[in-house]
Order: sequence, then C-alpha cells, then structure tokens
Amino acid sequence: MPRAVRGLLIECDPSIKSMILKYDEERHDYIVEDLDDEHHLVIKESQLQGLKARLDQDLDEKIMQLDESESE
Amino acid sequence: MAASTSRPLEYLEGLPGTTFNKLYQQPSTALAIFRRMLPDLAKCFVMALLYLKDPLPMADLELWVNAESRKQRDNAISILGRLHILQSKLSDEKVRTYVVTDPFATSLRQALTGSADTLSFGVLSNTPDEYKISIDFLDDYARRQWEAVLGYMVGTSAFEQRGPRDGASLSEGVKQLLQAGHLVELRGRSVDITKDGFGFVLQDVNTQVWHILILYVQTAEAIGMDSVEVLSFLFLLSSLELGRSYEKKHLTPDQVRTLSGLADFGIVYQESPEATQFYPTRLATTLTSDSSALSNPVTGSMGPAGQPGSSGSGFIIIETNYRLYAYTSSPLQISLISLFTNLKYRFPNLVTGKVTRQSVRRAIEMGITADQIISYLLTHAHPQMRKHNAGHSTSNTGGVPPSVLPPTVTDQIRLWQLERDRLRATAGFLFKDFTNFAEYQAPCQYAAEVGVLVWKSDRKRMFFVTRHEQVAAFLKNRK
Repeated sequence: MPRAVRGLLIECDPSIKSMILKYDEERHDYIVEDLDDEHHLVIKESQLQGLKARLDQDLDEKIMQLDESESE
Repeated sequence: MAASTSRPLEYLEGLPGTTFNKLYQQPSTALAIFRRMLPDLAKCFVMALLYLKDPLPMADLELWVNAESRKQRDNAISILGRLHILQSKLSDEKVRTYVVTDPFATSLRQALTGSADTLSFGVLSNTPDEYKISIDFLDDYARRQWEAVLGYMVGTSAFEQRGPRDGASLSEGVKQLLQAGHLVELRGRSVDITKDGFGFVLQDVNTQVWHILILYVQTAEAIGMDSVEVLSFLFLLSSLELGRSYEKKHLTPDQVRTLSGLADFGIVYQESPEATQFYPTRLATTLTSDSSALSNPVTGSMGPAGQPGSSGSGFIIIETNYRLYAYTSSPLQISLISLFTNLKYRFPNLVTGKVTRQSVRRAIEMGITADQIISYLLTHAHPQMRKHNAGHSTSNTGGVPPSVLPPTVTDQIRLWQLERDRLRATAGFLFKDFTNFAEYQAPCQYAAEVGVLVWKSDRKRMFFVTRHEQVAAFLKNRK
C-alpha cells in the first residue's frame, strides 16, 4: 500500500549530507527518509531553519579561513 | 540602453493605450519619450517616418537595415509598437505598412518646430526673484534633500543630528511613499530598510529618481490624482532648463500638488508652497537627457571637493587584495560602504577598509545580494580604475570584455554568497512503500507528466512531488 509523507527534499553535497546524517543520529529528529543517493534526503519541514543555522555554525568553525586574520 | 531606462520603460509599457493617447497630446511628453526611451535605431525610424505623407511599406523599411542587424531592427520596432508610437496597417493594396501614430506624430512635430503654444514646455517666469537663486544653490539643495532621503532609509544618525539646521527635513509624504514602495518598513518607531531598499540605495541616482517618480505616479491615483496629469508633468519637468524659474499659474491643481511632493525629494525647488514660481533642479533636468547617469551631480558632489560634477562620480578604488579606498566624506556613502566592508581608518576625505568574507556575509544576511554590492562598486568606481583597466585590456586581446573591478574580487564576492546556500530545499511529498515496480511506475510517470515530479528512485520505488493532490487522485482512480 503506497503512502505519501510530507517533507522537504534537500539537495546538497555529499559532505553536507553526511553532516546532516550525523546530527540525526543524536535524536532522530531531522530526517524523514534517507534517500540512499549522495545528494538527496527528505527532512521535516519544521527543522530547516535550525538545520541551516547549525550547519553554518559548524562549517564556520571547521573550515579554515585565511583572510580573517586582518593583517593590514 | 542604459539600465536606468528600463524601469520607466517597463512601467510605461504596462499602461493602456488610452493613457498613451492622452499622454501624447503634450509635445513635451512626446519629445521626452523620443529622447530617453527609444534606442538609437528606433529614433532613426521615427525621424524618417515622421514627415512622410503616406504610410511606408514594411518591405521598404526592412531595406534600411542590414541583414545582420535584424535583431536590433526587430527590437526597435517592437519597442515602438509597445509604446504605441508605430502602427502597422494594411494598405488598400494589401501591403503591410508602417505609420507613426497620430497624437505622437503631431506632438513631436510641434516639439521639433516649436509651432505649438509653449505651455507644454513650461512658462518662464519673468518676475525677478528677490533672492537670486543660483545653479550652485539648486545643486546643493537637491543633493541635501536626496541625501536626506537615502540617509533616512539607511538610518544614518548623522542626518538626524544635523536636523533642521541644514533644512534637510523629511516630510511625512516622503516617508509614506518610501513605505508604500516597500523600501522601508516601520517597526515601532525605528525605520528598517528592506531588501528592495538596499537594492535601491546602491543604484545610481538617475535610476533612483525614476524609481521614486514611478512610485509617486502609482500612488497618485490612490490619493485621487490623475496619473496622466502627473506623468505628463514629470516629462514636462525633464525638459525644463536648469537655473531658470517657471510660472506655476499654468499648472493644474494636481500638478501643483505633485510639485510640492517633488520638492521634498529635491527634484524641484520652490521658495514656499505658496510661491508663484518654481525651479527645476539637476535631478529633474537630467531625467530624460542622454547624459549618462555616471556624470550625475549628486554622488559626484559627494566627493571631497564638494563641487557638483567636477570630479565625475567615482570615488571608490578596490584592489585585488580586497582593500578598498573610498574618497568621500559623506556620512551616507560611508555608511553604505560599511554595510559590506570592514572599515579600518577614516581620514578627512578618505575611508579605507577591506572587503572580507565576514563583512560580505554580514551584508548577505541582511538581504543584500552579491550582485548589488558589485553593481554599487561598479557605479562608483574611481575614474582611475576605469582608466587603468581600460588600458590594461588593450594589451590583453583575449576577447574578454574589460572589467573595471578586479575579477578576483567580484568572483570572490559571488562565491561568498554561494557559500550561504549549501543546500537547496523543496517542500513537497514523498511517495513510498509501493509493493511492486508496476505499481510505482504509473503514478511516477503521471507525476512527471503533470510537472510536479522533483526526484525519483526506481530502485527504492520512491518519488518526490511538489503537490500530492493530483497524484493521490490518480492512485485512487486506479484501484
């Protein structure tokens, strides 16, 4: 019996996807369905803003920025 | 054509034909539209056709243009058609012909030969003003008012401090217009600039003036003014001479109302609302002239010299190492630049800083786009940058158009913007748990046919759609 589930289809790079998967392992509160390809997954609609903020924050911490040292 | 013409053109094209009929009664309107809105080729066509007695067969007109330039020809003819200037008719011999439509043709002929009564181009005032109003004074007035409007939008505190002493106080009408155009939003008592507002303040002055004027015309109807009268008055203004005063007594009541509205923006100057004469400022007289927006008076005069039009408009130098030098002392320009730059030092006539990833991301979070930043930098690039990069490109004949800004900087600003969009989200519905492939395939195919399918996986027998109603109904019908 086929079912329809409401959600947000997320399209992103594999690296981003693996970060989202990692977040979901904590409390299983992001993902509706992992779509088993490298670029797609479906998440809960209400979680998008929080997810974006968390991703931005983590990426800012992890990615080295060379020019922020402000050597004038 | 310059970008600044596209907005008024778009607006005009949306007007009904009867409005054009009324507008073109005024020779000043016909001339203004001819001068400002038409591409060069279209001007040639109009000039050639204007004094012909008989309609010109289409084939003859097509002969005037080289075969390679068909695109320009079609574009010119289509603009002329959309502005209701050129009409194609079937002649008696069943030949398609072109003719310049009538109220426009008559008005333009009158404008060119000056045979009409001169009311349409404003009436010069002969009574000498008690105080001599000089062009410098008008430029100064226009600049002060316009900077006050922009300053109000970006919330520069420096303007509030200067306050009424400078005479650049904003009327309620101005504030309401900015709100009606969604350029600012009122939150409690503070003024917040919107995304559109950012786009607006980063444009060049001529485009800004047109934006405001069209907003004005659009809201004019709502407060019971005739938009045709207001529009034709705007075109009239644009044909006036800077530094001369004009009589108000020939204007209609609606136009007098418009006049005081425009005075708040610094587009015209009048001693007081009761004065019998008014002066157009440079903001008005350059509206439909061909002089490029770059030599506009306002931003140019924001430079250190403070003399209108003396140094051209550019004052920003940006280097390939992202350092930015802006030769300005205007608090407005400085606060605009600080929206997307980390400013470091401020000197009497110069601020310097660096465009960094952080500063650009801060701007993008506020709703400014990378393209807006780049176009602002481009509009205000220092003449030295134009000269340097133009000279540079002649030695490098790679066919790449010469860019004024260093490409590394513009590319990087765009990349910083892209960084913000790491994922793309589409709201919708996932269909799953199909028992076999055939059961999966039919609705999936149907979803693709009705154009709602976003993603599918044959292997997992799942697909994602933006709307589920049609697909659900399809599944039900098959049972």
